Amino acid sequence: MSLPESMSRVVIVGSKPRLEETVDALYEMGIVHLIDYTNDSDEGFAIGAPLPYSPKASERLLKIRAVEKDLGIKARKAKTPSMVLSDVKAEISSGNVEAVEKDVLQAIDKRNSIAQKITELDAIKSELKILEKLPLKLEDYSGYSSISVFVGTVKEDCSAALAAVPNTEVFVSAAVKNERPSIAVFVKNEDKAKVSAILSENNYIEAPVPAGEGAPADVLAKIEAEILENQNALEEAKAAIVGVSEKYKKQIVAYDEELTDEVRKGETPLRIATTEFSFVVDAWVPTAKVEMLEKGVKDLLGDGVYVEFQETRGRNLHESEHVAEKEGKRFEVPPSKWNNGPVAKRYQYATSLISVPKYQEIDPSIAMAIFFPLFFGFMIGDLAYAIPFICLGAYGLKHAKSKEFQAIGTVLFYGGIWAALFGFFFFGEMLGMHFVGHATETTMTWEALLGVHLPDWFAGIMVNGHGVSKLGADTITMLLKLTVYVGIVHLLVSYAIGFMNIKMQHGMKHAMQEKGGWFIMVIGVSALCFGLSGLMGIQTLNDTVALVGLIIGVVALVIGVVLAWPAEGIQAILEIPGIVGNILSYTRLAAIGMSKAGMALAFNYIALVMLGGFGPFGDGFSIGGFIAGALVFVIGHLMIWVLGILSAGLHALRLQYVESMNKFFVGGGVEYAPLKTSFKHIINKPENIETEA
Amino acid sequence: MAAEMAYIGAGIAIGLTGLASGIAEKDVGAAAVGAITEDVSLFGKAMVLMVLPETIVIFGLVIAILSIMM
Repeated sequence: MSLPESMSRVVIVGSKPRLEETVDALYEMGIVHLIDYTNDSDEGFAIGAPLPYSPKASERLLKIRAVEKDLGIKARKAKTPSMVLSDVKAEISSGNVEAVEKDVLQAIDKRNSIAQKITELDAIKSELKILEKLPLKLEDYSGYSSISVFVGTVKEDCSAALAAVPNTEVFVSAAVKNERPSIAVFVKNEDKAKVSAILSENNYIEAPVPAGEGAPADVLAKIEAEILENQNALEEAKAAIVGVSEKYKKQIVAYDEELTDEVRKGETPLRIATTEFSFVVDAWVPTAKVEMLEKGVKDLLGDGVYVEFQETRGRNLHESEHVAEKEGKRFEVPPSKWNNGPVAKRYQYATSLISVPKYQEIDPSIAMAIFFPLFFGFMIGDLAYAIPFICLGAYGLKHAKSKEFQAIGTVLFYGGIWAALFGFFFFGEMLGMHFVGHATETTMTWEALLGVHLPDWFAGIMVNGHGVSKLGADTITMLLKLTVYVGIVHLLVSYAIGFMNIKMQHGMKHAMQEKGGWFIMVIGVSALCFGLSGLMGIQTLNDTVALVGLIIGVVALVIGVVLAWPAEGIQAILEIPGIVGNILSYTRLAAIGMSKAGMALAFNYIALVMLGGFGPFGDGFSIGGFIAGALVFVIGHLMIWVLGILSAGLHALRLQYVESMNKFFVGGGVEYAPLKTSFKHIINKPENIETEA
Repeated sequence: MAAEMAYIGAGIAIGLTGLASGIAEKDVGAAAVGAITEDVSLFGKAMVLMVLPETIVIFGLVIAILSIMM
């Protein structure tokens, strides 16, 4: 079982003018996890000031990010050829960021102003559409002093009502279904109120009259031509933006990376303690790399900056508390650097979904790497479902970029291998049918389906000669028992890891009280249930054996409770049924397999026997039946396969998280995050330049 | 008769525990989705809480199998 990597605390001191190059060197080495300095930590020290280039870099970074947003470029994910660091730096300092910004903004502004123009023209167009229906010219609507003009649309033709008002002239467009009629009313100023009242009763909406002269239809034609022209111009402007984006994409992405790095470096002094003439960097470094740090500082910075080793932190929590009390709270928690081999490493993501392991805690990733795919494979337990899992998993491992898909690929690949092993050797199954054996009224076998007598050597390598049936009356009890035993072992392993954790953190006595008691109680509950099931006739057992089991169980339980009492109190007794629950929870390993086998059985029966007419109980071959059967077969098994990922995956994960990790894992560690430069699109030396990625 | 009663009993055991799991998961699931929307890093903890009630139906299944087998 692996612990996070051992950490040592170091202090790096130097004179203040050397701060900038020290920060650069620390980023270059990429092994130093900074301990943030807070203003009141030590007397005589203050937080450092950002490096001189930092404000300008921040300003430029903002500009570049704005440009990225305008152009829709995602810098971290972009596939652009790499640039050389020295070129990027030279271009940035010669004002290229500002030049790119200017070009991009120009293109964007042009597009925006054309789009704005089109919107305005569209508004005039809709106004003209209203006026077009009336027999008046645009200049007719204005230029009166004693006459008021109402122009707009109404709910329905109200010219009869308006005719009753003296001194009015009314124009109404012809009625068209589903369209509000246009209306223009000219009235002497003194009768304006009456017209206004009638119009508002008719839901009058005023339409502004655009400036201009001539018949609205003629003006409308001109406006439409203008809109078309602008739309063409808009397309050109959009193409120009794409052109600008293509032209500068490489630079923008590289500038973003370099400026992000500069800003990060520039602001690092804000985490460092300084006096008027010197600086002090407190940091964690993996113990194995302390010498490398000392050598690196000497090589890169020469004399004047010194590394002083402080301590290598042990795993006992009292040690950390003691240091925190003596030297300050910020030195209490060392960061956790994952310390796993190539396979277990792939399960770190699943662990981190719960929490990052503490420095003083065993990383559950290895236990997860062993049991998670094993449980997944057992629940799937079918050769045909396993093969696509393995292929998909292998593809995911090779090509998936995101952590989530990498994790899913890992489970599918390793789980798929287990599923294939269980499917072939243990269950002897493919697509829910046994390889060997005779067909019954409801079940098919490959031997019966293909009409081939499978030779004995093939059967000889499977349990029972034909595999364990997931649905057979005699085998279900065996499977349930098996999964209960697996559960007991998994729980004992979990408590054992918990025991090691507490022993390391607080010593043997605490470990016995906190985890040892529970470990013995699990044994007790298991023995007790074993004995009871024999005595109650749930399983056939020799009475003496059952009685011995019962006695061992009671004794172990009493010892367990006594041991756990100081740490847990009454909880130790109240939680005993919880242990039974935990153990029974593992029967899901058999249950999920059963549910899938049940579905497969049903689909196979419908597809092969009922529709396809295969086997001794089918009614013979027919084309229609064959096609329908094939459809049911494919869709049915595809559904089971997809459900398999969800149910087997989630339940296998749950057994890790709830039943196992709850027993030993607390988490809450701080992940090791060293200062380092991580360039994706920038390289140091010209000869490493890739061609188009 | 006893065998028939055992089958009915198995059905009740599965049915009611399934219903109970469903009711429990409905509430947990809704809250979990809400929490994950706020903070994706809660996914692991939310999933653990989400699948906790599923154990109820597993117990139901065990009882159902035992009642049929015995």
